[in-house]
Amino acid sequence: MEFVISHLVKNYGSKQVLKDVDFIFEEGKIYGLLGRNGSGKTTFFNCINSDIDINSGSFYFRDGNDPQKQIPVLPEDIGYLVSTPTVPEFMTGREFLKFFIEVHEEITPDKTIDEYFDYMMVPEDDRDRLLKDYSHGTKNKMQMLLNIIASPRLMLLDEPLTSLDVIIAEEMKNVIRSQKQGRITIFSTHLLDVAVDLCDEIVLLHNGRLEPIDKSNLGDSDFKEKIIAALKDQDDA
Amino acid sequence: MLNEFKSTLTKVIHLRSIIGYNSLVFALKKTPVIGKILPDALYRTRFLKVIYWIFHVILEVLKLFIGKFAGLGLIYLVTAFLTKEYMEFGKGAGMTESTLFGCFALSFFILYALFGILINRPVFKCTTEKEYLVFMLRMNARKLNNTLFIYELGKLFIGYLITGLVAALFGAPLPVCLGIPVLAVLIKIFGTGAQAAVYKLKNKHHKPMKTNGTFYLITVVLVLMIMPLVLVFIANGHYVPLPILLAASALLAALGVWGFFVLKGFGSDLHRRALRDNIVRTEVSKYKETDTTKSFKKIKANGTVKGDKKGFEYLNALFIKRHGRMLIVKPVIFTVCLMVIMGLLIFEFVYGYYTRFGGDNCLAMVGSNLINLITFGHYEDALLPFESDSAVLFFRFLVQYHLLGLLIPVSIADNSFKSTQAMFINCDNSLMTFSFFKQRDKIIKLFDIRLKQLIKINIAPSVAMGIFADLILFYTGGQDYPFQYLLTIVICILMSAIYAAVWLTLYYLFQPFTTSVNIKGGAYRIAWIILSIVFCIVCWIPAHSAILAAVLLVFTAVFIYFMRKLVYKHAPKTWRVRV
Repeated sequence: MEFVISHLVKNYGSKQVLKDVDFIFEEGKIYGLLGRNGSGKTTFFNCINSDIDINSGSFYFRDGNDPQKQIPVLPEDIGYLVSTPTVPEFMTGREFLKFFIEVHEEITPDKTIDEYFDYMMVPEDDRDRLLKDYSHGTKNKMQMLLNIIASPRLMLLDEPLTSLDVIIAEEMKNVIRSQKQGRITIFSTHLLDVAVDLCDEIVLLHNGRLEPIDKSNLGDSDFKEKIIAALKDQDDA
Repeated sequence: MLNEFKSTLTKVIHLRSIIGYNSLVFALKKTPVIGKILPDALYRTRFLKVIYWIFHVILEVLKLFIGKFAGLGLIYLVTAFLTKEYMEFGKGAGMTESTLFGCFALSFFILYALFGILINRPVFKCTTEKEYLVFMLRMNARKLNNTLFIYELGKLFIGYLITGLVAALFGAPLPVCLGIPVLAVLIKIFGTGAQAAVYKLKNKHHKPMKTNGTFYLITVVLVLMIMPLVLVFIANGHYVPLPILLAASALLAALGVWGFFVLKGFGSDLHRRALRDNIVRTEVSKYKETDTTKSFKKIKANGTVKGDKKGFEYLNALFIKRHGRMLIVKPVIFTVCLMVIMGLLIFEFVYGYYTRFGGDNCLAMVGSNLINLITFGHYEDALLPFESDSAVLFFRFLVQYHLLGLLIPVSIADNSFKSTQAMFINCDNSLMTFSFFKQRDKIIKLFDIRLKQLIKINIAPSVAMGIFADLILFYTGGQDYPFQYLLTIVICILMSAIYAAVWLTLYYLFQPFTTSVNIKGGAYRIAWIILSIVFCIVCWIPAHSAILAAVLLVFTAVFIYFMRKLVYKHAPKTWRVRV
């Protein structure tokens, strides 16, 4: 399965944020979407998640067996983790998880609620507290956990490691790695080290376009310098 | 001195006009489509500025007349109506028609004016033009405030005088019509003088003047409750004697003179400082307003949902459990206020009966009429039979043919707007990031559950309104046809159901809230304005309650059906977080 983006354009008034995004993402890989602050990474995710209208272009899934057939992207195909996790604050973690499993009738949970909490390393004393009292990191874990349970085809992770402490960031990275099989994961970040450490492919979002970076260079010690130089050059251009 | 007054006033009105014109052009240029067509040159087009200036002057004149006519005109109308009633039934204990008119008019007016000075205190408010003139153009603050105050007093006097003269043409006593404008001016001077005195005192002790929101709310609630109560008491033959009212007027006039001297001694520095403090307060309140979500965050994990509720039913039950206070406080206050008013009216009636006919007769009357009420009969009593006068017949006519007018109290009691805000900020805002929440079937499922919930929340005030209407019906002759009592209550419930459906649908179709619960999006506002206009028009449509009940029953069903269709079709696209 592939996720195809074809000539996607998004403008805010006269400002062109996404100029002509054309890209194919493959299943089973984590894509590091790298771009400077304000380059349009969140806008790109919001477009894919249908939170904002696009000006032109399209995106769809394509089956490897029938490349001509365009499979529409349905809301249930997408899992979206926003950088500032928002959770229904009037519920406890346990209540939210119970509700979430109940509304996903198509899912047969393979774990109990506590087992899910254990899997995500959510502290026991947090589980029956209101979500509004959760720390940023635990809220993030909850968001991730729900997306794991929903098991979407396409996972959009918008800077999910931002402002997490080292331990939780490492735990999250491990979870993201363990969940990459059978789905496409796009992980946006403006931190080059995180992208290099976690992702199978690096894609630059720059000047409103997506540009792949050759993955064979990922281990190259000059790789970071090359990307920084590329971002600078294109920005100056 | 007159020239100075004219010159200052001209500057202020000119500046107001420029600010108004530029704000209008700015707003137009921000409007989608139109904004792109309009050139920047509009800001300097002299011709349009002159046209705006003419409209501005017309608006000033209209404000002068409409405001004064609406307030004092209504007082004169009600007074004339009551005076006629008193004369017709000889209730005035030998007083002449003019005396009665003066007595009632003063009762209402003094209350009206006192509430007015509590709520409306514009002199020390720093408007944009005052800010420019005083703090940028260095105009003398005292001169400016005094000029505007005299201008306000002039408008008040002329507006009330013209209203009075019109009333006099219809037979109102001239001394009252001439005296009230003078009294109005003196009360206003007293109010402003008192404000200045308090400011002076607080300033001396370095204490800030605070705007007390609760105080304003209480005042507004008092106005809403006391005015109708006064009307009812007077209608039932109780009134404050004229000498007392005249003494009160004289006292207020004397206080007005005191206020004048306080204002005379209020120096330019104090005026300037008061305006500066007002700017600071406004800035602080603006800063506070940025955290509009604060009031929605007072949630506690109190208990959980019992029973076998699952999925969205479970979500909604939890939401209601944790937001109960926030969602029901307004309908509960409304219901309690209505019950208190009903209780007072019944008490007034029973007490009057008791004093006239004694305890045993009173008990017998209450007992027999309670049975009449339970058996859907009507008020009956041999000692005090129901008298069919024009006042009660008017109220009977209202509950027979103008139940649609109850849309106004329904809109006051309804808390659906705040409920949608709470839904968004504490629930939907976060769940919208999950794909399942945007699926059509799930959206409509939750919509249905929420609509039922909002209707349930509205039931108590609706039933209270229906009972109020039924009591009027009961006292004035009972049902015209079987089940009229029941249908009156049903009508109130249906109207509140429509109201809840409107708010909820608007929320799903336009989702106007930002994450800080501010409203963004012209479409929501426009839809809201159009619906408000429609409701205002519908309020006046006369309809027999039986026909109305049938029509409303069908309409509500059809309306909700179409609202659901709209939500099902469009909400997956429209119901989302504003990015």
